[in-house]
Amino acid sequence: MSVAIAVDGLVKRYGAVEAVAGLSFSVEAGTIFGLLGRNGAGKTTTLECCIGIGKPTSGSIRVLGLDPTQPRDLSGLRRRIGVQLQATSLPEKANVREVLELYAAYYSIPPRVKEMAERVGLADKLDRQMAQLSGGEQQRLALALALQHDPDVLFLDEPTAGMDAFGRRILWTEVERLRAGGKTIVLTTHYIEEAERLSDRICMVQRGKIVAEATPADLVAEYGGAATVSIAADGFVPGAALEALGTWTRTGAEWKLATTTEPGLALAAIVTHANELGTTITALDMHRPTLEDAFIAITGETIQEAAL
Amino acid sequence: MNLARMFATQTKMHFLWYFRRDGEMMFWTLAMPVFFLVLFSFAFSNGVTAKSSSFLVPGIIGAQVLSSGFWGVGVMLATFREKHLLRRVYITPMPAWIFFASLVTYRVGLLAAQAIILIAVGALLFHVQITGNPLSIVAILILGTATFVSLGTIIGALARTTESANNIASILTVPLAFLSDAYVPIDRFPHAVSAALRLLPSTEFIETFRGVAVGGEPIAAFAVWLTVLGLWTVAGTVISARTFRWV
Ligand SMILES: Nc1ncnc2c1ncn2[C@@H]1O[C@H](COP(=O)(O)OP(=O)(O)O)[C@@H](O)[C@H]1O
Ligand SMILES: [Mg+2]
Repeated sequence: MSVAIAVDGLVKRYGAVEAVAGLSFSVEAGTIFGLLGRNGAGKTTTLECCIGIGKPTSGSIRVLGLDPTQPRDLSGLRRRIGVQLQATSLPEKANVREVLELYAAYYSIPPRVKEMAERVGLADKLDRQMAQLSGGEQQRLALALALQHDPDVLFLDEPTAGMDAFGRRILWTEVERLRAGGKTIVLTTHYIEEAERLSDRICMVQRGKIVAEATPADLVAEYGGAATVSIAADGFVPGAALEALGTWTRTGAEWKLATTTEPGLALAAIVTHANELGTTITALDMHRPTLEDAFIAITGETIQEAAL
Repeated sequence: MNLARMFATQTKMHFLWYFRRDGEMMFWTLAMPVFFLVLFSFAFSNGVTAKSSSFLVPGIIGAQVLSSGFWGVGVMLATFREKHLLRRVYITPMPAWIFFASLVTYRVGLLAAQAIILIAVGALLFHVQITGNPLSIVAILILGTATFVSLGTIIGALARTTESANNIASILTVPLAFLSDAYVPIDRFPHAVSAALRLLPSTEFIETFRGVAVGGEPIAAFAVWLTVLGLWTVAGTVISARTFRWV
């Protein structure tokens, strides 16, 4: 496997603000790489440096072997990458058809207006102007602009932010289709579910630094913590057989088992034991570790700022 | 790369998006200058509208060239940057010069339409006669447009926001239109003042244009001023290219 993107020691300062504080990662060709982090973590800044919009304060970047800080390399790179910016604003009075035609001209390719519009669910809105499209529809058009010239590498910055369930499904379908086509994708998101579902590897970013990088399954296995099963039942006491499954703690009438074995089997054993004791189960709960648990364990915070 | 198609499509879209579908813009571009011409021709006529109108037709066209450079290009670029349109375009393979060339072509198209309308209205209503060599007239208009577009681009490059670009453009355009012999003859000012005002590129441009278009003078008579305008254009282009920011 070859490396499509290599970022080494990337630092980007805006005055006193260190938006990116020494990031290094590499992305294998044909894989999907998710940058996951809170708002303000430095995802957009990192991506902008990769596409030549931002000039790194220090560090090196190679995309398809080209250096986006070098004008010559950048002009060769532009036709090979597709970008959906976090906030794409297109001219208010432009309609969908015209925007696709203009971007086809930018890339010197035949316009694929109907095909692209169908793929992003805008086939019946070709003559709508930007001002008459919802935010989610504009995002879908931005996705079409990133895809129309069939680039090798895609950079998608919070591609589903502000999209409804329909838009999200379209984006996910497109990403899966690109994966099947062997494209390389860098995707930033603050939706854990999206990162987990789409990414081959996830890089968690916090305050401009990488705090963990692995496959979603490995992140959960390593940092997600134990699975838990809890039961509330009058007169319940775990016997010796159940105690061997893991660590038990008791809060009032509720017993909780933290286990590294398969929690489904533990649950079955606990229910059987409670029945043998003849107790009435009033509450029963099982929780497998998730990527969110791993995120909290790694960063010490939830991904969404606490709701006010 | 198909640069010709890129240029043609971008120019067409500028025209459609920022002119054809913008009623306010069409009004300001096409109706306002004619309104000014008619109003001021009578207001300044002292009974002879042919004379005031012959002064005003080239003056108003010249003022439109100024505002085309300062507003039409300078402020427009700042707006494009603030709305994140520039960065979206920057990451496509379109060369920067194609983008600028199409913006300037679009503005030149509007200027040509304005000039034709003003000349026609001047001729029909006030018997204004354009006696100059058409090639010389077109050459002067193109040089003037290049000068004020390159100076306007500096505004677009340096202004941080649309609002500050707007302020800079208004501070420049409105007084310049009145101090550069566009609407009011500067010969009415004391000699020292009018001599000083003739150091402004806007005055030199407008007086050259008027002298050739309606004054019956040969273009060679203005060789010095045309050279000065050329130098302003070079300086403006160099400064713009050095300071321009896409993000
Ligand atoms: N142009 C800028 N000027 C100053 N600070 C900026 C600028 N862009 C981003 N920042 C700061 O850099 C940090 C990282 O921002 P960003 O990369 O947008 O994060 P993310 O995309 O992960 O939400 C934030 O603290 C943000 O306020
Ligand atoms: Mg962001």
